[in-house]
Amino acid sequence: MLQEESDLSLIIAQIVQKLKGSNLYSQLERQAWGSWEKRILKSLNSMCTELSIPLARKRPVGEQKELLNKWNEMGTDEPDLSLFRPVYAPKDFLEVLINLRNPNYENGDSLSFRTHLGLIQIPLKVKDIPELKECFVELGLNTGQLGIDDSTQVPPELFENEHVRIGQKVLAEQDSAAAQQYIRQGSPTALRAELWALILNISSEPEDVLYYEQLKTNVIQHDLLVDSLIYKDVKLTASNDDYYFVFEDYLYQVLLCFSRDTSVLSHFAYNSASPPKSYIRGKLGLEEYAVFYPPNGVIPFHGFSMYVAPLCFLYHEPSKLYQIFREMYVRFFFRLHSISSHPSGIVSLCLLFETLLQTYLPQLFYHLREIGAQPLRISFKWMVRAFSGYLATDQLLLLWDRILGYNSLEILAVLAAAVFAFRAVNLMEVTSLAAAEAVLADLSTLKVMPLLQIFLFATVT
Amino acid sequence: MAGKVKWVTDIEKSVLINNFEKRGWVQVTENEDWNFYWMSVQTIRNVFSVETGYRLSDDQIVNHFPNHYELTRKDLMVKNIKRYRKELEKEGSPLAEKDENGKYLYLDFVPVTYMLPADYNLFVEEFRKSPSSTWIMKPCGKAQGKGIFLINKLSQIKKWSRDSKTSSFVSQSNKEAYVISLYINNPLLIGGRKFDLRLYVLVSTYRPLRCYMYKLGFCRFCTVKYTPSTSELDNMFVHLTNVAIQKHGDDYNHIHGGKWMVSNLRLYLESTRGKEVTSKLFDEIHWIIVQSLKAVAVNASPSLTSSTANDRILKYNLINDTLNIVVPNGEIPDCKWNKSPPKEVLGNYEILYDEELAQGDGADRELRSRQGQSQGPRAGRSRDSGRTVLTTWK
Repeated sequence: MLQEESDLSLIIAQIVQKLKGSNLYSQLERQAWGSWEKRILKSLNSMCTELSIPLARKRPVGEQKELLNKWNEMGTDEPDLSLFRPVYAPKDFLEVLINLRNPNYENGDSLSFRTHLGLIQIPLKVKDIPELKECFVELGLNTGQLGIDDSTQVPPELFENEHVRIGQKVLAEQDSAAAQQYIRQGSPTALRAELWALILNISSEPEDVLYYEQLKTNVIQHDLLVDSLIYKDVKLTASNDDYYFVFEDYLYQVLLCFSRDTSVLSHFAYNSASPPKSYIRGKLGLEEYAVFYPPNGVIPFHGFSMYVAPLCFLYHEPSKLYQIFREMYVRFFFRLHSISSHPSGIVSLCLLFETLLQTYLPQLFYHLREIGAQPLRISFKWMVRAFSGYLATDQLLLLWDRILGYNSLEILAVLAAAVFAFRAVNLMEVTSLAAAEAVLADLSTLKVMPLLQIFLFATVT
Repeated sequence: MAGKVKWVTDIEKSVLINNFEKRGWVQVTENEDWNFYWMSVQTIRNVFSVETGYRLSDDQIVNHFPNHYELTRKDLMVKNIKRYRKELEKEGSPLAEKDENGKYLYLDFVPVTYMLPADYNLFVEEFRKSPSSTWIMKPCGKAQGKGIFLINKLSQIKKWSRDSKTSSFVSQSNKEAYVISLYINNPLLIGGRKFDLRLYVLVSTYRPLRCYMYKLGFCRFCTVKYTPSTSELDNMFVHLTNVAIQKHGDDYNHIHGGKWMVSNLRLYLESTRGKEVTSKLFDEIHWIIVQSLKAVAVNASPSLTSSTANDRILKYNLINDTLNIVVPNGEIPDCKWNKSPPKEVLGNYEILYDEELAQGDGADRELRSRQGQSQGPRAGRSRDSGRTVLTTWK
């Protein structure tokens, strides 16, 4: 572990070095990502070498048969995973983001940015509360919401019944755009699975099922080093979760196939990152021998399986679950662990969070900063995981309804700020980072919609 | 009389004792004057046995009804339900209505069950009708999954085959009483696993029947995937969900103990199966509980041992809410109390059935909603029978 940490500092120093003098965002993105990618690959390769395990190998027939038999209960397999480490954890990624710099201060916004006291030092444009109110107008106080107006004290005739009726109509007409608009007010539990599929344009055609089966065959035939990383991640996170432990086996079935799905590579076209490349043994540097590793170009990090886990509450047919997850990933989740200037990218979300806090809760912000508890250090992990594993499942699904409805991840930053606002009184009394973490350790009782509504529409700005 | 409630218990569990102490109640011994005694099953047996002739005074409360035994034992429970059904039928109650195949429409919630060794011959007759079926053997007097096993061949229960008429005294001692039920081998599975429900129901009075269900019940999952395959009949990790059993499996996880809150179950079922079917399921669960209570059914010894930290918190809160209902405001008990407690003290309990309230505004409203009947001559008739049903059990 110590070796890892000094490696990390070295890499960060190199990144900072590279970034000095660069002028363009895209150059920033490419270089920052490029260095990060190198670091990840280096970690993967060194694990390979240390453990003498190849990045990929073909399974002997006996092993293939065994795996096929165990396909529905891979969770009972207990391979020795003690020597595997996650390639990186969210906090490692945060360190990289913190050290991103753009020395181009000619930007007009930068005057106010000079007073930005958060960890992110890139002056990207983020919305303020008036702009967010316009953007999230359907979350306003005068509009009915699921997550608020369906609580047991509110008679269903006031909102819920009519909302369900409209949802059924939208589904009957298979209107994807209407569904997206509708779901901004939340989805009834019974309609959610279908609504999400409609919005994501997922319809399970035979060729989709076939495609999934093909991926499954790939898994049976070849073993990848990342498989062990996936196993380890599931065992460390989802298997220990109160809600998701039941679905452990589904997670393997989805994630192992996912890492072999080359169609996922297409998302890199609009992602400023590029998939990590590896080279056939002995052919380092020769482009004709370059392969994407893993085949889908996505190296899982600690907590990755939590993107899939909540979906198991909606879909129990493996190929459908797979399709939904893949689409959620290439539309949304990839932005949470890639470096880009996109408004839904993690860098923007971090900056949005910090700016909201510093602007609208300045006392709290300064206090936390003073005691060495920069708020982003606590909220980063929530946002990277889109709050999965931190909120109760029903609340998480209500939150993800809005991500789909608004086609944006900005709501994650707003919620993070709202959580701090909610616990502000307790946070003002803490005197250390550890104590602040403790105040914010348990989000499982939070109701997200009231928090969001109060923060956006009922706070004096 | 203003004074602190005096309590005794012979169960050394922190979830109990902490709750008593936090109310400032005074601990006494059983020989002294006590108001509240949380008794173990053995003590209950002694207190209420005919020989001791012990009678509770007006200011004493215990945590079990004298007739709890009627349903603690599985054979007695089955007998009670069968008898309850027959009595309703005799009265012509619409609750006991049957379909064209002779199956009860509203009271079919116990699978075909026989007592062994008493009903052995009847059982064999039934077994032979469908020889490929699986049956589950449960000892009458045990809990926590002890002694349960599955059979699919008559030879596996040879022990109970001796004619009960000839050996009723001699064999009584070495032939333990069992119930044998048709095993339901296509249970609802989640994540491919079987699960059961642990629900907490508080009965504060039987006459009138007043019972509460704790909202935070939970599901207990098997750690191993379910398979109806006959080769796995011996694998109790597949079939029995009791934590006492699952605790010893290799895959048992001590952080969550394989449990889900019932609210989770509801969310999952609504999301994957729809709202109507899920609501119907929960209505039927509540119905079964109320009917069972009416046939007099209560399990005597839920485990107060906590398996995980969350579990400990749950049980502490459960006892807390229970005490708030049965000893309102910490007042000394008075057997002449018969008021329904106000809503505020319910905590995480919700009213499952309150006979007084139900009788107040239309006795069998619950029955009518089950049958989907509207006002009409038929309803008039069922109103009368409904009331008859309720007053019989008074």
